[in-house]
Amino acid sequence: MSRSVLDRLSLNAPLAVAVLTRFIRDAVETSGTSGVVVGLSGGIDSSLAAALAVQALGAERVHGFLLPYRTSSPESVSDARLIAGHLGLPHRQIDISPMVDAYFAIEPEADSGRRGNKMARERMTILFDQAKKLGALVLGTSNKTEILLGYSTVFGDNASSLNPLGDLYKHQVWQLARHLGLPEQVVAKRPSADLWPGQTDEGDMGFDYRTADEVLWFLFDEGLAPDEVVERGYDEEVVRRIVSFERQFRFKRRLMLIARLSGSAVNLDQEIPRD
Amino acid sequence: MSEPTAGSPRLTVGLAQIDSRLGDLEANLERHLAWVERARGQGIDLLIFPELSLTGYRLLHLTSRVALTPGSPVLERLAEAARPMAVVAGFVEESDRGVLYNSAVLLSGGFFDGGARHIHRKLYLPTYGIFQEERFFRAGQRLDLATLPWGRTGVLICEDLWHPELARRLAVAGARLLIVPSAGPGRIGGGDVPASHESWEMLCRTTALLDSCWVLYCNRVGWEEGSFYPGGSLVIRPGGEVEARAPFLDEHLLVAEIDLRDADRVRWRLPLLADERTDIEGPQL
Repeated sequence: MSRSVLDRLSLNAPLAVAVLTRFIRDAVETSGTSGVVVGLSGGIDSSLAAALAVQALGAERVHGFLLPYRTSSPESVSDARLIAGHLGLPHRQIDISPMVDAYFAIEPEADSGRRGNKMARERMTILFDQAKKLGALVLGTSNKTEILLGYSTVFGDNASSLNPLGDLYKHQVWQLARHLGLPEQVVAKRPSADLWPGQTDEGDMGFDYRTADEVLWFLFDEGLAPDEVVERGYDEEVVRRIVSFERQFRFKRRLMLIARLSGSAVNLDQEIPRD
Repeated sequence: MSEPTAGSPRLTVGLAQIDSRLGDLEANLERHLAWVERARGQGIDLLIFPELSLTGYRLLHLTSRVALTPGSPVLERLAEAARPMAVVAGFVEESDRGVLYNSAVLLSGGFFDGGARHIHRKLYLPTYGIFQEERFFRAGQRLDLATLPWGRTGVLICEDLWHPELARRLAVAGARLLIVPSAGPGRIGGGDVPASHESWEMLCRTTALLDSCWVLYCNRVGWEEGSFYPGGSLVIRPGGEVEARAPFLDEHLLVAEIDLRDADRVRWRLPLLADERTDIEGPQL
């Protein structure tokens, strides 16, 4: 019997950790910064990113921030504390409710989507400010599945100085989190952006992560056409939605769209590496 | 075929599996000089650095800013510092016509006093996936043998090895040693070694088997723009057996004693090169 898709997606976890910790160390050392700041949501992505950073840099150079809004689930905060304690991280809690509420006091009709985006961007501004204060880099926590699906707030949770998880499908995030021994309470819970009560990622998207990972892998890693993916037994409507999300949200992956006028546009003609 | 020089066919090689700072010639030269000193302490005769070791690989629009002419003082300093070692380093070569090449230089002995200086310009420039070499470099046009005191040698850069007719031509022309400086980016999957390395090891061993020659694969380490180089440099014996292997991910000096006569001994038993035919009709390359 041939290998299952999940089996083909599985990584050599010790090797992946060795590579990703070097990535973090290299970025911190070449930028001459002191370490990283990371927003801890209590979810698996930020927990794994923090765990990798601790392995790379030592806990004292990884600064955790809990940034709850008043409607955030108490479980998110307690799980974030659990992770910080588990990793021995210095951490701090900053309530973002006053800043977010001050804005929506003058925009009271805003729907939950706008409010969620504002919270994600509020957290981003705090993380970048704390990074400035501490002379550190902002550690990204977006995984490949959500990046490809555009399941993020542009300039919010998708903003970072470096992202060790951006080429890991959710299945691989789970795999590495278990390999690093993160508490099962965090690893096993249903992923949620926790932007409003009761929200879950899979509820928002209308399909589960396993399906998303497998369909995306067939489309992007294997180069299959959507109908060829459907022929492999995936629901046609789900495949159609995944293809449509990917197409619709590509703009989130290309952050600077500059109108080129000269022969030396900074993004096209002068592609200067940052390293 | 008689050898042009009468030196011993035995030598100690060192593969300097280093990281490079992208676009920083000065820092990279200093790093080369430090590894030259380290190699000297280990009795190395021939020291090999990876592809574009003096400049870093993913230069994009920095390419022209770090270009060197073949007579550059940077190469002179390296050659002088390495004496009496021979050294192979990677650099952006600017020709007298202002054309840029992804080149490797083999420096042996003094820079001005008759020492050998062989330059190989990369012949196959990968321009697919994450590679963009044809945007910034021109492809070389010539394949040449280098003559070292120990015997004839060929230099092929990274992608060149994936076009097996090049190694074949060098071996048929008398090369018993192939030097392959590389900047091969890493990928990982479920296997025990980086997935990218599985292909490289297969390729190096197959080349050493089919062309009955030593293969020295020197791959860099470090990160550039979010992409890593896994190292895993190899010394492969004529016939395909692994003589020595460097660890993955970290800088390392891989040292091996090699005897170029081993290639001849394999060729006597398995005369693949002597049997090579160029007169077979039908589809041609």
